Amino acid sequence: MDSHQRSSIEDIFDSTLNLEETHFNDGYKEGFSDGLASGKEEGRQVGLKRGFETGEELGFYRGCIDVWSSAIRAEPACFSARVQKTINQMDELVRNYPISDPENESVSDVMDSLRLKFRAVCATLNVKLEYDGYPKAADAQF
Amino acid sequence: MNFVDDSVELREVQKLEGHTDRVWGLAWNPATGSAGIPAVLASCSGDKTVRIWQQNPSNGPFQCTAVLEETHTRTVRSCAWSPSGKLLATASFDATTAIWEHSGGDFECVSTLEGHENEVKSVSWNASGSLLATCGRDKSVWIWEVLPGNEFECVSVLQGHAQDVKMVQWHPTVDVLFSCSYDNTVKVWAEDGDSDDWHCVQTLGESNNGHSSTVWALSFNATGDKMVTSSDDLTIKIWGADIIRMQSGGIFAPLPAIMIEQFFQYIGQVFTSEYDREGVIASGAADDAVRLFVESEESKIDGPTYNLLTRKEKAHDMDINSVQWNSA
Repeated sequence: MDSHQRSSIEDIFDSTLNLEETHFNDGYKEGFSDGLASGKEEGRQVGLKRGFETGEELGFYRGCIDVWSSAIRAEPACFSARVQKTINQMDELVRNYPISDPENESVSDVMDSLRLKFRAVCATLNVKLEYDGYPKAADAQF
Repeated sequence: MNFVDDSVELREVQKLEGHTDRVWGLAWNPATGSAGIPAVLASCSGDKTVRIWQQNPSNGPFQCTAVLEETHTRTVRSCAWSPSGKLLATASFDATTAIWEHSGGDFECVSTLEGHENEVKSVSWNASGSLLATCGRDKSVWIWEVLPGNEFECVSVLQGHAQDVKMVQWHPTVDVLFSCSYDNTVKVWAEDGDSDDWHCVQTLGESNNGHSSTVWALSFNATGDKMVTSSDDLTIKIWGADIIRMQSGGIFAPLPAIMIEQFFQYIGQVFTSEYDREGVIASGAADDAVRLFVESEESKIDGPTYNLLTRKEKAHDMDINSVQWNSA
């Protein structure tokens, strides 16, 4: 056989021998692009959900802080110095919350701090305000 | 382990009956029991009440002089008198802590502290009576400041324990708070300057020779340089602390609490232990016995040793929940 015939025989066998590899690559490409699309969509859904939850909770605290601050402006003596200081700290935390940077590692610390300060203020003021958004320890019944 | 002194014995003097459910805790009123003032004891129970007992006359039997009821709607788990003896704090499974004041012959509930999400397990006053701490099943420790007119203000809500916090206790001389939990650790909390900023400055866990199961109780000796902890792991441990370092403060005053000695004596979980004024430790456990331990006179090279002074088997018919020494 001359080299031309040899290479065309090889070519014919090539596609058969590489069948598995070809199909593997095709499958991989299809899966990758499908995954990319559905992953993006799922990411969007998760982001919307988490963003909504975070925004709603921050908004709740913002509302409370604003009401309390108005009360303090109208009647500076209505809350103790400690309560006012805590409200100011909460105000700063809400204002500086990195809304546009969800991957910022401090977000959970800021939220925890806000939650604790909120509970402390409510306990001192003797008001039963509760934010219903996140699940509480008491809800897990065993 | 042999008894150090065979002549020491615990003798039951009186059995106080009245509660209709298990008695969880006791507290001696620190302003009573000496200088002619008859001793006063408070006991709290699963029957949702607190009973006040008074020794009348000073050497006679104890009688129930008051029942604090219709306030808590669930078990009262713990009670503590303020250092002045004027106020009594009661912690309840109904998630509240009630503050009672003695006026005339009656006790009146003058304040209710709310904030815990569920059962409050313990309450403790600091040495000066200016601060109150509570802890509960919601894993948090709350610090309250005592203000004039029986007002209480929440200073801080401390998260850190991974499970139910069983007991809180202030150090007898320094304003440092200790808490122990179902998460097997004891945590130490101190304030950063004067800023209301309380942090956990030390955790005593298995890695520093700590307990391997729930820590139920902790107690300090009179000078505050030793602490005893009792646990579900069937041991009690004695810890040492460097008071000078604790007092000199700074932002964090790390308390080198080192485990000194431990006892493997128990058959049942140890629920309670307490130092008396002279450094004798009493403990009560699920095996229904009360034991007394004392530091021995001969000390080993690596530290003090303790001996079992006496043991009273079957002191109660069931688990012993609390032991308290009368400080007089």
